[in-house]
Amino acid sequence: MPIKRTRRDFLWQTGGGFAGIALMHLLSRDGFAAPAGSILAPRQPHFPAKAKRAVFLFMNGAPSQVDTFDPKPELTRLNGTAYRGKLAVGSNGRPIGYLMGSPFEFKPRGQSGLPISDLFPHTAKFADDLCVIRSMYTDTAAHASGCLQMNTGSIFIGKPSMGAWVTYGLGAGNESLPAFVVMTDPRGGPIGSASNWTAGFMPAAYQGTLFRSGAAPLLDLKPPVDDRTQRRSLDLLKELNEEHLRRHPEESELAARVMSYELAYRMQTEAAAVVDLDRETPATRERYGLNDKLTADFGRKCLITRRLLEKGVRFVQLYSGGGHIEDTWDGHNDCITNHRLHAGETDKPVAALMEDLKANGLWDETVILWGGEFGRTPTSEGVGKPGRDHDWHGFSMWLAGAGVKGGQAIGATDELGFEAVEERVHVSDLHATMLHLLGLDHTKLTWFYQGLNQRLTGVRGELVRKVFA
Amino acid sequence: MLRALIATSISLWAAPPDYETEVRPLLAKRCHACHGAQVQMSKLRLDRRAAALRGGESGVPAFEPGNSEASLLIRYVSGTEKKVVMPPAGPRLTEAEIGLLKRWIDGGAPWPGEETAAAPETRDKRLDHWAFQKLVKPAVPEVNDRAWVRNPVDAFVLAKLEARGWKPAAEAARGDLLRRVHLDLIGLPPTIAEQDAYRGDLDAEAARLLARSEYGERWGRHWLDVVRYGESNGYERDAIKPHVWRYRDYVIGAFNSGKPFNRFLVEQLAGDELPGANAETMIATGFNRLGPWDDEPADPAEDRFDQLDDVVSTTSQAFLALTLGCARCHNHKFEPLLTKDYYGMVAVFNGLERPRNGRTELDRPIGIRDEVDRFNQREKKIADLREAARLDWLGSGKSALPAAAVTAFLTAAAERTEEQKQLVRDHTKAYEQELKALPVETEVDRLKKEVPDLPRGYFLEETFRQIPKTHILVRGKPGVPGPEVGPLVPAVLAKAQPSFEPAAGARTSQRRLRFAEWLASPDNPLTARVIVNRVWQWHFGEGLVRTANDFGVMGDKPEHRELLDWLAVWFVENGWSIKKLNALIVQSSTYRMSKASNERYAAEDPENRLLWRRPMRRLEAEAILDSALAVSGRLNRRMYGPFVYPHMQKEALEGSSDPGKIWMPYDEQAASRRAVYYFVKRSLMVPLMEVLDLCDTVRSAPKRQTTAVAPQALQLFNGDFINRQAHHFASRLREEAGPDPARQVEHAFRLALARPPTATERSTMLAFLKTESLEQMTRVILNLNEFVYAN
Repeated sequence: MPIKRTRRDFLWQTGGGFAGIALMHLLSRDGFAAPAGSILAPRQPHFPAKAKRAVFLFMNGAPSQVDTFDPKPELTRLNGTAYRGKLAVGSNGRPIGYLMGSPFEFKPRGQSGLPISDLFPHTAKFADDLCVIRSMYTDTAAHASGCLQMNTGSIFIGKPSMGAWVTYGLGAGNESLPAFVVMTDPRGGPIGSASNWTAGFMPAAYQGTLFRSGAAPLLDLKPPVDDRTQRRSLDLLKELNEEHLRRHPEESELAARVMSYELAYRMQTEAAAVVDLDRETPATRERYGLNDKLTADFGRKCLITRRLLEKGVRFVQLYSGGGHIEDTWDGHNDCITNHRLHAGETDKPVAALMEDLKANGLWDETVILWGGEFGRTPTSEGVGKPGRDHDWHGFSMWLAGAGVKGGQAIGATDELGFEAVEERVHVSDLHATMLHLLGLDHTKLTWFYQGLNQRLTGVRGELVRKVFA
Repeated sequence: MLRALIATSISLWAAPPDYETEVRPLLAKRCHACHGAQVQMSKLRLDRRAAALRGGESGVPAFEPGNSEASLLIRYVSGTEKKVVMPPAGPRLTEAEIGLLKRWIDGGAPWPGEETAAAPETRDKRLDHWAFQKLVKPAVPEVNDRAWVRNPVDAFVLAKLEARGWKPAAEAARGDLLRRVHLDLIGLPPTIAEQDAYRGDLDAEAARLLARSEYGERWGRHWLDVVRYGESNGYERDAIKPHVWRYRDYVIGAFNSGKPFNRFLVEQLAGDELPGANAETMIATGFNRLGPWDDEPADPAEDRFDQLDDVVSTTSQAFLALTLGCARCHNHKFEPLLTKDYYGMVAVFNGLERPRNGRTELDRPIGIRDEVDRFNQREKKIADLREAARLDWLGSGKSALPAAAVTAFLTAAAERTEEQKQLVRDHTKAYEQELKALPVETEVDRLKKEVPDLPRGYFLEETFRQIPKTHILVRGKPGVPGPEVGPLVPAVLAKAQPSFEPAAGARTSQRRLRFAEWLASPDNPLTARVIVNRVWQWHFGEGLVRTANDFGVMGDKPEHRELLDWLAVWFVENGWSIKKLNALIVQSSTYRMSKASNERYAAEDPENRLLWRRPMRRLEAEAILDSALAVSGRLNRRMYGPFVYPHMQKEALEGSSDPGKIWMPYDEQAASRRAVYYFVKRSLMVPLMEVLDLCDTVRSAPKRQTTAVAPQALQLFNGDFINRQAHHFASRLREEAGPDPARQVEHAFRLALARPPTATERSTMLAFLKTESLEQMTRVILNLNEFVYAN
């Protein structure tokens, strides 16, 4: 069932349009779902699926596969020798050093024995839930285009992001919170900033909304006046708008605009409440690492993520790393120290999020995706320094949660970890698979623009069926 | 191996292999299963000569008789193309088999029985598509209610309504029409003085508005949507495009001066190639350079074609409403557009280059040709003089710099040792001061007085002596060139190709000029239709063809095709004048209908395709913000010049990779100019503009969208901009209406909504003011549906 866009259902098609009374009835309803007819109204997926929402843990800067989820004993054996393969490695003419085995120990974890490096002792406890794809590859060696491709399927700016596509496909679960929330790293956003969570050529209503760090996570969330005045002013606005609406009773577009102010009023309370973590128990705060400077920021984001998911938010994207090179996972100079830092910041909070989702039952409705824009070379960058350069020929990502078969690794890189050689998974294949987990067929989730039915996956995209439980 | 050797040696003297007994069996065995009568993968069939020569969806022939080396068939079966090896399954063709095919192709690929008796091709029905047909002025239809017809526009509309027994909506109230025409033509509500002066003559009002400079600021912005106007490059560094705002000013000026659209078009594509090229026409060609640009592309070879694609796709959509960009990698899947058409248009622009120094873009001097020449000569002369003086000075022993530093400065930058580089760094300041004091500077000053500096502009240049050859790229890949093509216009639109010969003595290829002249010729079936439809859309919210950038087979089928054609012919007859077209449309009864709905019509024609009433239309972001400023009394009417930085919530910078550097501090007076002057930064759109549905700035945008979601309400109700204007608005009310709340309410309604309040509204407002401030009342008024909707 393609989601067709005509002017009529694109706006608020409700038959006769709502008059004031019907509108007030809708607004007084208790419940989160966006009203039928809204551009963000919930839509049926193309086919039944367990996952209703998604979390994308974006490791900005590109984590190294051979140090995280793709053990390479042969690389360790050949440590310090020259790379003799045929691949063009590295980026921007940076010098290529010698093969460099991982200093991190890989252990078989859980009942499945899935190997995970010591960088992730907490995440490792969920090994039986993780589905690692070791054979990812992408089309570009540059961060800017890499982030764009991982988020929007294209190396060019202006295409809608995966979160926007999912929001378009499934609508909002709760219209008094943004449907698609993005939280960036306090050290800076990813390269390309909002191009990574844009709605592109689709309506801005589908784009990612930045949740900011302070007590007012959304732009202009805080009213400039006290609540009593705010409410009275809104009541006056409503009264005058309804009078206007009575002169144009057919116009659902006008009615929707009236409603948006009421939703905004609710959002003021709800969004502020979501980020107010004071009422969380000390034990919870400890589990998310809020008491430790290293983990506090990402821990806070993970805890907010749990609360957003509980409120019905459709898609949450968290960025680990931002700003300058070593403030991201971009370990050109010293990949070991770099990854210790960034894994250390994120491992515990991610595990706490997974634990809570299991406890509150959302695990079976939420799919989690972890990874960066590409991987890193098994060679060192230059000689005598433990940095690693960009590797777009092969890298690892993992999925977990609703509909995902955990405790497995799919595909393989070559014996040194350079290039995906078995069951290769292109970024667009991953996108197709993510949409599928959410009940969306990537060939049918289309938006007609510039003479084409545009898709997240462009003309590509094969499902990675082994992912599915 | 032996067989291959024998085969090769035989080819030196033998006739080409026989198709029937040698070639066909091989093709049948290895190719026809996928490219034959039953199945045509990639739309290619190899069982007929004509089909094979037409090629598959790539638009490239499978082989080129007489040239096996260039033939795709050979490249694919012999494995020289990394990405495509044919056949995809089973064993590879043997050397002998490949040799056989090569010899056959080199021998002219004889294919008995087909050359003469080629089956007649079935005619492509898509060629009959209405928009590709010659423009002919239709007869104005007869109607019953002649009194309703103010001009032929109405006759077309009424005839269709009467055929159904329908009636057009009644004329809107006088005040509604006044506010409608003001918001429509200048994007600002009528002032109280204008309301008082208005006696109901809408034509006269329209004529006055069309003569005002605010007209260009509103209508120029419409055009900026179409041309993907942006002031930065996007991507990682998102650098500012130097002087690009001059293009915006050019557009505003062009609308204001009533520049004929055919001239407007030619200037934008080829202003530098016009006989009377000058600063204005050079700025106009900024059109070619407005797109996003990745200064660190993943693949430089592809990047060149990405840049050309930006120009080709924008040009074909903006002027022809064709989605030609879809034919970059294969023949268009839906339209009768081939890769040959696409690369033919690439060839038109393939002479253009981006002035740059590495990642840094450069601007260029602008003026009439002689001025620019003189200026360039001056610059060269100054550079030469300075270099000679510098060498003299450093060689004279008079410099106070240490000897080693002098040597370092005398050494070419690329050849300096590390030590010398350090010396250069340490002494640059003193060195430059010495040079500044040299006598040559007097001569430089004299030269600069003699030939003054020129303003700078932002456009692409044609500097190639010889324009690079253009090839059809197989699957759009620069590494897989197909046959060469010269400059072409899309074949579906032209019975014969126009001449692309440059005039004698031309400095450029003049391909763009020839192309633009073809676009602007009355014979072109699309150009006039497309712009007339856009103008209609800018008046009514929806075009007669609702897909303004797509007039192809897949585009919207217009209910009012005859009206569109009549308008297009009328437009050409009237000198391609947009202002005349504006006046004609405003004059019509169609324009003057009220928005009143009709249950039966709404059920049968919910999209109002028959134009039975005035549609609802929310104002664009710019018109909402500009109107708020006009009403608050703080609109800064300064026109033109570099862009301004509007207020940006500091939290909005949080997601940026470099939050400290990218936005200038807020200056209320500067920021209170019309929103058309706001900085359009591709990686950081102004949140208030974005949430009010500013268009895509990366590609040609056919239409603004209208959404109403909670974050929009938050920004409008709680945000700085509206609350600030509400505050000024309240001060203005106190000042102009005095302390009496009743008069304040009256004044507020007339300023914002161009009407007095109803009795109910008046009492509601007065009750509100008993407990709340005037600032709260004005805040509410600026948020009203009525305020952000046109009448």
